[in-house]
Parts: sequence; structure tokens; C-alpha cells
Amino acid sequence: MASKANKPQLIVDGKRLDGRALNELRPIKIQASVLKNADGSAYLEWGDNRVLAAVYGPKEAMPKHVQDPVKAIIKCKYQMAPFSSMGEHGRSGPNRRATEISKVTREAFESVVMLNDFPGSEIDIFIEILQSDGGTRAAGITAAAVALANAGIHMKDLIYAVSFGKTDGELILDLNMIEDNYSECDMPMAIAPRNGELLLLQMDGNLTKEEMKRGMAMAIEAGKKITAIQKAALQETYKKTEADIKGSENGV
Amino acid sequence: MPGDVIFDKPMRMDNSYVENGKTYAEVMGLFDSEKGSLVALEGAWSPRTDEVVIGIITNSRNQVYEVDLSFYGRAILIGSKYDRQTYKLGDVVQAEVKDIENRKTVILWRPRTLYGGTLLDVKATKVPRIIGKANTMIMQIASITKSNIIVGNNGIVWLKGGDIALATMAIRKIEDEAHTSGLTERIKKLLDTRQVGGTNKEIA
Repeated sequence: MASKANKPQLIVDGKRLDGRALNELRPIKIQASVLKNADGSAYLEWGDNRVLAAVYGPKEAMPKHVQDPVKAIIKCKYQMAPFSSMGEHGRSGPNRRATEISKVTREAFESVVMLNDFPGSEIDIFIEILQSDGGTRAAGITAAAVALANAGIHMKDLIYAVSFGKTDGELILDLNMIEDNYSECDMPMAIAPRNGELLLLQMDGNLTKEEMKRGMAMAIEAGKKITAIQKAALQETYKKTEADIKGSENGV
Repeated sequence: MPGDVIFDKPMRMDNSYVENGKTYAEVMGLFDSEKGSLVALEGAWSPRTDEVVIGIITNSRNQVYEVDLSFYGRAILIGSKYDRQTYKLGDVVQAEVKDIENRKTVILWRPRTLYGGTLLDVKATKVPRIIGKANTMIMQIASITKSNIIVGNNGIVWLKGGDIALATMAIRKIEDEAHTSGLTERIKKLLDTRQVGGTNKEIA
């Protein structure tokens, strides 16, 4: 269990346990359109996190009493696979934590999706954590944004999420599981890159005002990289078909 | 990409929105600067008046029919008591969109029953490509496969007679490669080589 008594030294010579600099992201890899049956989908590898996101809709909202006659509703389900994690997070099924993350994810997307374009409809977002290593809600939101764009759902922006925190008195970006467990503070945030709008802000621990400003600047800087990866993943799905055509033409 | 600036001034076009005097994209799409339009690559069908659609009758009461157009809203076809034509549940109809209420209830008119045939689901965003400029693409498929083909803008295609398997194959190919150029020639090649007694039979 994480406690002060057995806390390892997380920062040595300005480097973290996995060799990253303080403001360095873990490697991110995204693949869009991986599921055939879903309207949009994405698979994301973020360090040791493995996330699968699928989007269905817009479709007629069921049961009918949940329909909103002027706008679409979003349903979001975040779930961890029973084999996804070590220790106590290994429990599966709907629990307090999953319900909470589903709610904050839904609220983040409600402010960017053009809900008024599809009145009376429902958009389903499913986020499945296959393997977790800290920062899964940020990874889930980042993957779901790609899946939504892949489904062609009208959105104001392609959002991303990333966390920052504080450990050993230093601000660090993108905490992994160990850093998260022993950190003094962990703060996931979702951001719309177009105007820097904050869509999700949660905090576990304590930060000073000045530290928070510095951390946010760090997250926004890192966000540029995440956005570029997201867009590249979406474009990749179309490049692939073009390459296939050229290949098949040469074959014939 | 969603959130990308298309124009520095407000423009009114599909799949975009205006904020603070700038026009932003709200879908992933291809921007045509000549026509000034943003064509979505993926997405659900949104009804528009005068579009031809294909649907299945799912409910009827007193000459008012509910039609399943496989989208998020609902569609209604209002018959009159002087109409000779009545529809049964499960009938496939082709109709035009007369009016749209609250962006989700579609009123249909000019119905026509389609007897027999098979239905094919395609992506609604790819329908313009399947039809082609001035119907060229769909005429080409129809003339070579000798099928009757009707393409509904809601993403349902009705096919009857002729070489349906080949026509389906061609439509699926268009759907997959809609964003590339030179598609008409490739489809022609496919149809020529695969058709029964075609010119290039050994390749098929």
C-alpha cells in the first residue's frame, strides 16, 4: 500500500523512475477505426495504458423518456477490464470510481459536441481500459475524442486530457501508477486546444496557486503533441486505403 | 478536423460553426475552397428537403405511416383517403422529403412502393460519390450489371435484377475509396473484368 513509510525516491537527478524528464509525456500511440461494428472507434497506447474507445450514434434515444426534444444526450461508460490492473483497482464492474469517471467524461464531451444538431438522439461512448498504469481517465478521454471524430459526430473541437502532479516537491507531467500512488498531488485535466477551454479539472492533494499555474502551462504545452498524434491517427485511416488501392492496381 | 479554422471570416456552410468572427470545422472532412464547402468523411444522415430516401414501413394508422429511415429521428408518410395505394408493414418505399419538423421528424411525400429487390446499407456521407456527378457512377453500374438501382440519400440502396453481387461489390468499393480520385475509371475496370463474359475474364 502507498504510504509515507515506504515511499521510494521518485526523482533522481532531475529524472523520473522511468527515465523521463519532469515535463515529458509517456509515448503515445493511437489507431483510429479499429472496430468494424462501431460507428467510430480508437485504440490508444499511452505508456503502459491500453485503452479501447467506441462510439455509437447518433441514434434514437432509448428508452423514450430520456429523449431531449431539443438536443442530443450523451451516455458514457468507462470500465476497467478485470485483468487491467494490479492491486485494488483490479476489481471490475460498475463501482463508485467507474461511475464517477463516466460522469466527468460525459460532462467534458457535453460541452464540445454539437448537441443541438441531433435533437432527440443519443450518442454512446464506451471506454474500456484493458491495461492501466495511472492516468486512465485522461487516456480514456483522449481516445474517446478520436473515436467521436472517427464517427463523424459534430464537435467544436478535438479535445485531449492529461494529468500533472507534484512529487518530492517537484511538478511532474503525466503521472504513472507509482508516481500517482505516492504523489503529493495529482490533477487530471481535459482541455479544448482551440481556445484552451477547461472541460475537466479534478485534484487529489494540495497545490499552491503558483504551482497550479505552472502545471497548467506544462499541460497545455504537452497538449500540442497529443493533438498532433490524435490528428495523425485520424488521417492515417484514409492514407491506408489509398496505399491499398495503389498496391492492388500494381498487382493487376 | 474538428476545431480547425477554415476561414478567418464568418462563412455559412455545412459541417462548420462560427465563433468570434471565425469559421471552424466541426467534423473531419475535406475542404473545397472553390465551392466553399466542407465535405464530411464520416457521419450520420441529416434530413434535407427534396432528398430521395428509401425506408421501410414500420407502423400504420388511418393512412398515416411511420417509415424507418435508419436515422435518429422518425419519418411520417401521410396518405389521403382518396389514395388508391395503401401500404403494409414491411413494405419498402421510396419517397421524397417534403418537410422537416424540429430537425428530427421528417414528412415524406411522393411515395412509391418498391417491390422485391434487396436493400443495402451504406454510409450516408458516401451517397454523393455512389451517385456520381450527374448520376454518371450509378448509371455506369446499372448499365453494366443490368440491375435496377435506387440510392436513398439516407444511406439505403435498393437493388433488383441483374448481377446484384457485382453491383454490391462496386458500391462497397466506392464506399471504401470515396475520398480518392479517379474512382470512376477504377469502378469501370472492376465491372468490366468481373462481369460474366467480360473482356478480361482470365483476371477475374
